[in-house]
Amino acid sequence: MNLSIKNLITFRRTPLNLLVAVTGALLLAAFVAGAVVYFLHGHHAFNVTRQHPWGLLIAMYVFFVVSSTGLCIISSIGHVFGVKEFQQIGKRAIAGAIVTIISGFAVIALEIGHPITMLIYNVLTPGLTSAIWWMGTLYGIYLCFIMLEFFFLTIKINHKWSKIFGIGGLLSGLAAHSNLGAVFGFLISRPTANGVFYPVYFILSAMITGCYLIYIIYGFKYRNNYPEPLRVMFVKLNKILGMLLGILIFFEAWKILTALYGTMPERAETIMYAVTSPNFIIGELLLGMLIPFFIILFSNGQAVKPMVYASLTGMIGIFFMRYDLVHDTLVYPMTMLKRSEYQLPPTLLHYFPSPTEMAIGFGGIGITILGLYIMEKVFNLDPDSED
Amino acid sequence: MKVEISRRRFLQSGIALSIAGGVSMSPSAVMASATEPEDIGKTKIVATLCEMCVNKCAVYAHVRNGIIEKLDPNPYFPKSRNMLCPRGNSGLASIYDADRLKYPLIRDGEKGSGKFRRASWEEAYEYIGEKLTKILDEEKDNRSTVAFCAGEGMAEHTFKNFYSGFGSSHFLNHASLCLATTVSGYSLTIGGYGQADLENANYVIMAGANRAEAIITPDSMDFFKRTKGRGAKLVTVDPRFTNTAAKSDKWLGVKVGTDLAFVLALTYVVIKENIYNKDFVEKHFNDFATYKKHILDNEYTPAWAEKITGIEADDIYEVARDFMKHAPQSIYYQGRRTTWSKNDFQLRRAQALFSALGGGVDIKGGICFGKKIPMAGHEIPSPIYDQAGSRIDSTEAAVVGGSGTWVGFRNKVLEGRAEYPIRALFNYKHNPMQNMPNSKKTEEFLKRLDLVVTIDTMPSDTVILSDVILPECTYLERTDPAKVYGGIEPAIVQRNKVVNPMYESKPIIEIMKGLTEKISKPLFEITKKYDEEVQDTIKEDGEEAVYAEFDLTKAFEKTQKELNEHAVAQYAGAAETLNEKGVFYPNMDKWFKKINVNEYEYYPESEKAYSVRNGKLKTPSGKVECNLSSLTKRGIDAMPVWKKEYEMIIPEGQFRFVTGRHAQFTQSGTSNNSMLLDLVPTNYLWINKRVAARMGIKFGDELEVASKAGKTKIKAYPTEKIGLDTVFFVHGFGNYSEDLTLAYNNGGRDSSIIEDSIEPMHGATCLHDTLVEIRKV
Amino acid sequence: MARYGMALDYKSCINCRACETACKAENGVLPGRDNYRIWVGQKEIEGEYPKLSISSLTYQPSQCQHCDNAPCQQVCPTNATYYDENRVVRVDPEKCILCTYCINACPYDARYVDDRTVTVDKCNFCSDTRLANGETTTACQATCPTKVRTFGDLDDPNSDISQLLEKREYRQIKEHLGTKPKLFYLL
Repeated sequence: MNLSIKNLITFRRTPLNLLVAVTGALLLAAFVAGAVVYFLHGHHAFNVTRQHPWGLLIAMYVFFVVSSTGLCIISSIGHVFGVKEFQQIGKRAIAGAIVTIISGFAVIALEIGHPITMLIYNVLTPGLTSAIWWMGTLYGIYLCFIMLEFFFLTIKINHKWSKIFGIGGLLSGLAAHSNLGAVFGFLISRPTANGVFYPVYFILSAMITGCYLIYIIYGFKYRNNYPEPLRVMFVKLNKILGMLLGILIFFEAWKILTALYGTMPERAETIMYAVTSPNFIIGELLLGMLIPFFIILFSNGQAVKPMVYASLTGMIGIFFMRYDLVHDTLVYPMTMLKRSEYQLPPTLLHYFPSPTEMAIGFGGIGITILGLYIMEKVFNLDPDSED
Repeated sequence: MKVEISRRRFLQSGIALSIAGGVSMSPSAVMASATEPEDIGKTKIVATLCEMCVNKCAVYAHVRNGIIEKLDPNPYFPKSRNMLCPRGNSGLASIYDADRLKYPLIRDGEKGSGKFRRASWEEAYEYIGEKLTKILDEEKDNRSTVAFCAGEGMAEHTFKNFYSGFGSSHFLNHASLCLATTVSGYSLTIGGYGQADLENANYVIMAGANRAEAIITPDSMDFFKRTKGRGAKLVTVDPRFTNTAAKSDKWLGVKVGTDLAFVLALTYVVIKENIYNKDFVEKHFNDFATYKKHILDNEYTPAWAEKITGIEADDIYEVARDFMKHAPQSIYYQGRRTTWSKNDFQLRRAQALFSALGGGVDIKGGICFGKKIPMAGHEIPSPIYDQAGSRIDSTEAAVVGGSGTWVGFRNKVLEGRAEYPIRALFNYKHNPMQNMPNSKKTEEFLKRLDLVVTIDTMPSDTVILSDVILPECTYLERTDPAKVYGGIEPAIVQRNKVVNPMYESKPIIEIMKGLTEKISKPLFEITKKYDEEVQDTIKEDGEEAVYAEFDLTKAFEKTQKELNEHAVAQYAGAAETLNEKGVFYPNMDKWFKKINVNEYEYYPESEKAYSVRNGKLKTPSGKVECNLSSLTKRGIDAMPVWKKEYEMIIPEGQFRFVTGRHAQFTQSGTSNNSMLLDLVPTNYLWINKRVAARMGIKFGDELEVASKAGKTKIKAYPTEKIGLDTVFFVHGFGNYSEDLTLAYNNGGRDSSIIEDSIEPMHGATCLHDTLVEIRKV
Repeated sequence: MARYGMALDYKSCINCRACETACKAENGVLPGRDNYRIWVGQKEIEGEYPKLSISSLTYQPSQCQHCDNAPCQQVCPTNATYYDENRVVRVDPEKCILCTYCINACPYDARYVDDRTVTVDKCNFCSDTRLANGETTTACQATCPTKVRTFGDLDDPNSDISQLLEKREYRQIKEHLGTKPKLFYLL
């Protein structure tokens, strides 16, 4: 651990580093600005309405915790399941998992109206049938576990304990994450969300996100100039990622087909809206799934450098997957009746995030960048000689 | 933290809405007048009557710490049937409206500039006295140079007492803008306007009447529970598909202004097919043979009517036959705001005759006349002024009654045809700038007068064109004269004061008292100067004795409480019951009972006044009058006849404009009410969807609607609920008064575009005879 | 103690919206487009002038259905949404964290955010206002001009509502979702 201030504020001033630093600082500033506006105006600073109560902030929260769970899963391939090539990325992955979940919590803290009340009554009068309660509680446990795992990996190195907490973190992460999917899966009011798809697909999506993030973190660190062990790992990762993407494309295709089939009123209209929107076609499909998949396919899994760039587009795609998750499940209004004479009949809802939402939501990325930077600087995240 | 029952916060937030830009109403202002020391910490319920519209439903006002927090229905009034419409609930926004008039104002700049200075009541009375004295002096005590107009209300007759004492011939009210033709159409035909017994009628035709939106008690309450397969049938005839049409069993889209052809065709069918109530006609129709010949000779067949009205002949046959199948429990509903076209009076005559052909007159399930409960009146001075001219508007129509013809009166003055000048206007609770067609002319008229005194609660468009403004307190702040509502289940009702008047506002009886105390003697001096009759009588009887008859303060000597007690003194316990429950009728304590959680029984079935005429109607012949030959010498057709001129050609690109009501508003009186505007923020122009698509008009587009009388701007509402050549928007919006923060410039204004033609019988306005052009802006 | 529900003779509804105004006044609901506990729904009319379908313009007054199997109660993480002793679905503003999961979960658009307490709010059958004062009618029921609503105890066989539901057929909204709503639309 290196806690000196000098170490923290010095870094090699390459153009890329400076770009990332400035971007991070701007995003962080945006987050603070958004937080100030939120404290002044409350939920009126957001574009959420009673028909569309969740928006960009929920999407970004999901984005962050999915990233966290994904990094935890990828890290556990090495430390828990003992696959040799992945042990070298274990520490950095866990560091990333901690940072992203903290960013996620920071974003959601500004979305939940009464976070202190939550801390009190989640304990005093828990709603045990509530997926959000389970998700919140399990993510809290998960955070403790991965922090402890990280502690035993870096500060007080003890591989027995780190493995135990690693398993604990993985299990609680999987549980929490599928409960997050169940938040949508349990909803009987929303036919598109209800069912088995979201809890299961979330785990799959987490693993994909974890892969993308590993590419990005290591791609940034090594500027595509990898030591051999790492390159070997990447090739293995490619194969895993390719399989996951194939499964994802298969899942999505059948989800779309079963939702369209039979033109069931709320479900079919929503899915038509979803698949014909540029969010899906360009964001989810092209950037998020197809480009990385085809690069892996055509390079037979060998391409590493192109995959780093594909991971950046992949993360944009992941973002749209989260945003569409929230928006598409809410887009069909609960009542199609007019409430007064002088209005148009209700149609699919329109929603676009307000500037404050975007500031807080995307500003969370600034927290991530800052967090990763601090982690890099303070801790030794490279593999120890024993690994 | 338990969420306190926070009606007060609700009120404050509602008040906060009107603070922006307007005179702010601080909570302390609300509290100051509301709380007597003994009010703190107490909750009480006061029985009173609503005044948000004509119905006067019985209300329970919940008062806590001197602030009215909720208005609930009071079950005791038979007529209001234990309910309160959205306006009744919104009386809270009326009393606590930040824009309401708070103290007397005297004009302090150009008329219409909106500049006023605050005055004390004394100052205001003096100002009025001075001006009146000068005017009467110049007009040589012609009392009729001062006109009086009033809006409908429980205290209207208090104001009229001043008018009676003053001695002018000119009293004007909404009758010629609303129901004059239907009241006289039915009265002259079947001997009374009557009450449609919708609780027991089985087949009702409502033409133009929109009881689901223009709520009338108990009609709206009774009937819609029984339509749509639950016992009764409703046929709605309307150029618009109103909410009433949505509640009916059949809707016929009629061309505007052609109802008369429809009714004549119905009459033709029942006469030709001999399916009318022959027994009733034989006993109770006068000169039926003439009418029968008239109908048959003119060949008012359904095929003929189809071409004119747009209603299919098959439907006309069906309705006529169904009506008679259900007779005598069948009613051709009288309607209320019946100022549509030039043939209004004849239409209502035809309606009454057709309805009577079924026999549904003065029986259960038909048009009933009901009973009244006699009340004791009180003497008020009604002296004769020799110099007072007769009504100038009696020349404008065939029969001009005590309520005059407002448009006829106004236009005669503007066109310089008045026999003597009209110099002043006393206006109580009336808004001619909104209620009369062609606001430009009304504005000119008001500006022409030397003295306009308006007594109102809100700074309406008429108020800001006045010279002296006297703030009346709202209905929740005063006790008003007890009144009897006759009918099948008659009752006496009394409005009781709930809280003390806020600011410096006063009830009309106190305003009249203060005013007459100031001006009675000085005005009498003028009379003495010019009235020879009075001069002579003074020589004989002495001034004091003569003045006793001309003393205007006499009508306002007693308090409202004393007057009310006197009015019902003959009924033991009535005064106490009226104070406590707001309602009284004989045997109320025996007969009033709760039937279920929602409904009450007021009179047992045997005591309801269904048949009261004993076979003799209140017409000259005692029977249904088919042929009013006495009207011909005044230029009015003796029997309803269809004339070619009743058909209006609508040129390409123009539309016929109709106006009407929504349940959330009472004409222009509620245009600033924050609770009601929360439901319907603004009005929209109804235009047919296909026409709108052709013109490239979408929902919400800003349009300009222009006619020969003026123009207005309004948003578009394309809908199939209106015909291709008709447009509609609801009345009461688009106010000019900047002091009405919520109503100012909000929505389209119909009084600026409706042309001011009048029909020949009473000079009632024709509000549906205007052609408009529409364009996007 | 009791099991409150409401029967609506919705064919009588004239869409005057007195119920909306009375509800807002009784319960202190703030004015504003999104702040409403109850409303009257209508479809756009079908047909072309003059051939219009009367039955397509039925008015459907609606509010929280006080489901016996309420999805909003199941999803609340702090049990801020709970059943009171009369099986009325209530919201405890002390416990609500404004996660708005319940707004998402409600199939009936019954819930909204109340700016006075910055928590979620909805119709509570006037439990803390009229019923707490000893009255037996809700504000919407009492004010209705055509007496559409009958509120009462479904577990009491002698109550007006139980007798109505015995005699008249009724339908419910979205009952296929299994929410067991307690609002009955009399046919």
